[in-house]
Amino acid sequence: MAKKSLLLICGLIFMTAMLQGTFKKEDIKVHQLENGLKIIFYEDHKIPNISYYTFFRVGSRHERPGLTGVSHFIEHMMFNGTQKFGPGEFDRLMEFYGGSNNAYTSEDLTAYTDWFPPHALEKMMEMEADRMQGLIFDPEVFESERGVVASERRMGVENNNEAILHENVRATAIMAHPYHWDVIGWMSDILSWRREEVMQYYRTYYAPNNAVLVVVGDFDSQKTLELIKKYYSIIPAQSPPPPVSTTEPPQMGRKEVVIKKEAQTPSFIVVYHAPRCQDPDFFALSILEKPLLRGESSRLYRRLVRDEQLAISVFGGIEERIDPYLFTIEIKPRPGVDLDKIEKILDEELDKIIEKGLTEQEYQKALNIIRSDFYFSLQTSSGKANLLGMAELLFGSYENLFTIVDRYSAVKREEIPGIAKKYFTQLNKTVGKLIPQGGN
Amino acid sequence: MTRIKAIIFLLIFILPVLAMATVKLPQPEKITLPNGLTVYFLKNPELPLVSFRILIPGAGSAFEPRDLDGLASLTATLLLKGTKTMSAEEIAEALDFMGARLFISDAEEYASVYGECLSEHLPRLFRIAADCLISPAFSEDEYKKELTRKIDGLKAIKDNPGQALRQYFRKAYFGEHPFSHLSAGTDSSLQKMSLAEIKKFYSIRYRPDTSILAVVGDVDKDRLLEILNSSLGNWPRPATPPPTATVPPLPSPKGKKLILVDKPDATQTYFALGAAGFPLGDKISPKANLMNTLWGGRFTSWLNTELRIKRGLTYGAGSNFQSWKTGGLFMATSYTKNDKIGEMLDITFELLKKARTQGFSPEEVESARNYILGQFPQTLETNSSKAYAYLRIVYYGLGFDYFDRHLNEISTAKAEELKATAVRLLPDKDFVLVAVGKAEEVRKLLSKYGQFQEKKITDPDF
Repeated sequence: MAKKSLLLICGLIFMTAMLQGTFKKEDIKVHQLENGLKIIFYEDHKIPNISYYTFFRVGSRHERPGLTGVSHFIEHMMFNGTQKFGPGEFDRLMEFYGGSNNAYTSEDLTAYTDWFPPHALEKMMEMEADRMQGLIFDPEVFESERGVVASERRMGVENNNEAILHENVRATAIMAHPYHWDVIGWMSDILSWRREEVMQYYRTYYAPNNAVLVVVGDFDSQKTLELIKKYYSIIPAQSPPPPVSTTEPPQMGRKEVVIKKEAQTPSFIVVYHAPRCQDPDFFALSILEKPLLRGESSRLYRRLVRDEQLAISVFGGIEERIDPYLFTIEIKPRPGVDLDKIEKILDEELDKIIEKGLTEQEYQKALNIIRSDFYFSLQTSSGKANLLGMAELLFGSYENLFTIVDRYSAVKREEIPGIAKKYFTQLNKTVGKLIPQGGN
Repeated sequence: MTRIKAIIFLLIFILPVLAMATVKLPQPEKITLPNGLTVYFLKNPELPLVSFRILIPGAGSAFEPRDLDGLASLTATLLLKGTKTMSAEEIAEALDFMGARLFISDAEEYASVYGECLSEHLPRLFRIAADCLISPAFSEDEYKKELTRKIDGLKAIKDNPGQALRQYFRKAYFGEHPFSHLSAGTDSSLQKMSLAEIKKFYSIRYRPDTSILAVVGDVDKDRLLEILNSSLGNWPRPATPPPTATVPPLPSPKGKKLILVDKPDATQTYFALGAAGFPLGDKISPKANLMNTLWGGRFTSWLNTELRIKRGLTYGAGSNFQSWKTGGLFMATSYTKNDKIGEMLDITFELLKKARTQGFSPEEVESARNYILGQFPQTLETNSSKAYAYLRIVYYGLGFDYFDRHLNEISTAKAEELKATAVRLLPDKDFVLVAVGKAEEVRKLLSKYGQFQEKKITDPDF
């Protein structure tokens, strides 16, 4: 059951000058309550359903040692009871009203995603507003949910070779910044979070002034705004959370991490430090990643999977993060191949881009992929709600969804080699290997 | 709590009157091409996108020759790896350049093609899809590459306990029935594989006159016909009659079949419990849908409530019914720490018994009904989901009013009918139970259920 999971946020793609169809900036309505809650509306009456997305500006980026994983844990606890609605009532009532939901936590944000028929709107709003301020953290439920998260970590990381390697590579490449640890947190922290500290964290970050509400679908904006005022305006604002001030120092040489574990197949990951998503270079690297490793026509797939037959699959790229994060290249090697040879080929392919850049065909291909991905994700109300929220939280404003296109088309093909050279250096690189051990 | 009950009481009487607004699947237009290919079309100009799907009956894994698991899957994969006029690289480059999607895959009863692109690229995408279906090259070189990838893939599956469980379960449950064929293949089937058999399978089983195409999106009918005439319209209809595409009735377990797969590095044990279901379109289907929603089909289901919400034993637990033409399958799955697997299974069996002996309350039935009706509109939201619904409705002979009838029956089902459904469908003594975990730690905990046949994950095959 994929619920309340650590979803990786799908690539948020801005390609808007070419926007066709009915989704327009003028049709989006925005409001802000006095307590700071920002609301973004888009009415879409195509199907009798509403996507109701609540975004909080909190993720593993805001955590510290001892409290790692706590943002994700609170995501779980948000379903476990307030003064008004007992443990589990949120889910029971929501499903009774015909609704379903999910939630995800990333490094930068936490999102609560509800989908329900229009008649459930007021009840859902009442429950969402309620859990923005009234979680009780019942001690017994707290312990039970700790077990669920421990199980999630065992499933998602410890029984998953790629995930365990990724966690090690991340922690090796990123030394100082809180992106050092995975969103799920370290097991010893999961097993020892203290209730009082978790409640303090909740009070600080789950405040209306730290939240954005995005509503897309079959509703009336005016009536809905009145309801929102009724349920949310009574929630007091809190002092703004402290800023995340740690900056990752520049890496000073190639790093390598090797894991030895019972397995039938090896795993291999290479990462480079990469810019934050609001940096102009982000868009260039996002274009570059497509001909490099996206799809069977990409350079790395052709070379590693087809021609030299060293790998089963290739994927990765740059991810949207508030602070500088990583450009990841994840290779699934064939059993028994020489991992150093794979690394050498990666270097050669990146050097080719640094020297000669992309071909015109590759550059156009990247822009086409960006455009079609964008439309595919606009097909559903939930897709629109997610894009609006991500634009607001990661790129500064929902309006960027309709204007940032210039930032993609502003990247000139000739600039790409220079930008590649800046990031794809030996000094900036961390390599991770999982080497199967006997015992089989 | 009393307040909540009052709310629920009110709702039970008011909600049905509110008559949940729901969506109807729009009726598509039917067109038959001269080569016999049946086309269902719906125009949707909302976004500049078009989706299409093709269902090719009889080209699925159930029709593979015995002991050649993975042949239908390899056939589907190789169709995109080169034609008489385009190399595999050229196909990949053309698709990626458009930002388009084109996949061919195998299910048990059929193969299916899935395509999606910006409207402006539709002619080119259909030309490529047609070329792949009509003139595949099946080169020795590409065959070897794909076969090697498949062999390596088997090892990766065994590193992932959840994936490994699905393979072991399918083999254990279906036994000698052709639904036991694994798309991933097995070590021995891939050793016996041959390109000649793949070519033979393709030439007999891929044909336009039994296939169904659904197209939904931003294209006019005339334009679509023009595009089809110069693409899939050229797919020649064979002179020979279509081969048999019927599957024998699905097996029903008699007694208990218990299998333990030893994965020495596993920190958790994964289990799958299976029993007989029902064929698609069977009249029990709406009631089974409601019953399963309550038992294991949603977050607040009995199973997830007991295993996850109350006890924190697992991240997730669930159950479902899968249905095909000649039968179906009920399956419940979850996972927990090795030392908790006994407790987890005890609870699972208690809940099965409770559903059969006590059934469900009217309030629960009401909740399941609202849930299914409330979630339904999203399942038909995209072009591709509509195209998929058309194909399945036509292939299984359900009628375009299928969803209306199904939802109508869901609206009127009674609690006592759900108990009867549980008695008929939830397993008591006849089931297949497969567990993947660290045998040393779980062997003793499992022994109370009977004698498990043990397998080692490192042994060949599943």
